[in-house]
Amino acid sequence: MGMTNDMAVLDVAGISKRFGDLQVLSDISFTVTRGETVCVLGPSGSGKSTLLRCINWLERPDAGQIYLNGDRIGINNGGVVMSDRELSRVRTRIGMVFQHFALWPHLTVLQNLMEAPVQVQKRPVAEVREEAMALLAKVGLSDKCDVFPARLSGGQKQRVGIARALAMKPDVLLFDEPTSALDPELVGEVLLVMRELAREGRTMVIVTHEMGFARDAATRILFMDRGRVVETGRPERFFVSPDTERARQFIQRYAAG
Amino acid sequence: MSTADILAILQGAVVTVTLSFVGILIGLPIGLGLALLRWADVPVIARIVAVYVSVLRATPLVTLLLLLFFALPNVGIAIGPVSAAILALVMNTSAFNCEVWRAALMNFPKEQYEAAQSVGMHASLRFRRIVLPQIVRVSLPGLVNEMSLLIKVTPVLAVVGVVDITRAAVRIGAETYEPLPPFLVAIAMYAPIVFALVSLQRFIERRQLAAEAA
Repeated sequence: MGMTNDMAVLDVAGISKRFGDLQVLSDISFTVTRGETVCVLGPSGSGKSTLLRCINWLERPDAGQIYLNGDRIGINNGGVVMSDRELSRVRTRIGMVFQHFALWPHLTVLQNLMEAPVQVQKRPVAEVREEAMALLAKVGLSDKCDVFPARLSGGQKQRVGIARALAMKPDVLLFDEPTSALDPELVGEVLLVMRELAREGRTMVIVTHEMGFARDAATRILFMDRGRVVETGRPERFFVSPDTERARQFIQRYAAG
Repeated sequence: MSTADILAILQGAVVTVTLSFVGILIGLPIGLGLALLRWADVPVIARIVAVYVSVLRATPLVTLLLLLFFALPNVGIAIGPVSAAILALVMNTSAFNCEVWRAALMNFPKEQYEAAQSVGMHASLRFRRIVLPQIVRVSLPGLVNEMSLLIKVTPVLAVVGVVDITRAAVRIGAETYEPLPPFLVAIAMYAPIVFALVSLQRFIERRQLAAEAA
């Protein structure tokens, strides 16, 4: 085990990742405790998305350990890299929301939500349907349940994407720039849903450029630059008096435009 | 031309349809399998598949068929005309099908695949539930095109003695010294076979569209 913190849902210890000559992540460590909303901020190319993708092993880290509720992700008890089946089992406990929604276009909205709970978790269809409808009501899309994703606006698609992740009842939710692909007028409806989740005390790690959201909704900011965690702290402190010069410059640039 | 002659051509049609159908039925999944091996970039095997596809696509079906029919017995593998015909059709069409499937796989959106991974679907589930339904749909026009080409290339199977539509027509023309009627009947028989295939494609496409409009 990494750090001993019995409240830690997610424990990331010393993750590094390089693509060819480019060191994308250097020795990243942090923990996320139950109910926390951690916003990962930083300039483009600072490795935020790669970090998120390393957590559920969509990207295989070169070094370091990741623990979910104390269980190592990616490496099994025998010290060997997990098989596809083992990884799949672990991933059911980590929800992910994608920048470009990544809904399955051949399935209706309701089917998108029900697919994994039924096919992966093998839960009874009737029960899954009921829960899926409740989730759609929660994100304000009950009337769209039988519609195919192509007919939805970007904001609606992303709300379905969030509901799809929630349908698996994951221990932690990862958001990879969930509003970056949206028209400005559609960003608000998605952030509203995310704020609600934060209020409910869902454990979330959110990569975002929405400074207003990070300031209000985050319990903690993780500021990254050039593949390193440069600064971490509570948002009211981070945005008002950051410790590092790089964070100060970043905040100024985003506040200005 | 007698009724018996027309029945003979009809019998040829049964042979044409049966051989085409068997060739398609076996060649389609083999083509998909080959495409998957290349898509997954399985070491060494992916290269072998690439070479197989290139060679098969460059080989005329008649030549391949003659090679199988006359050369296989030489190396101790007994093969009849029908088996040789089916083997040649399968080898040929699987190579072309492989490329159609592969194009669909290469264009499959990576994020959709990762979304399936992130909800814990294992490889075969991801393929069966997410990838396959979508690539079937994208590949359908190309596959049906290849199927209709396959049906129309079946007359070459006559070189090893298979009596298909065209071969039956040739025989009747030679016996009656009136080649025109049997060949007209022959041509009239290919059209409905290919038309039936294309209609099936349209039907599937329409059903998908209707489902999505709902």
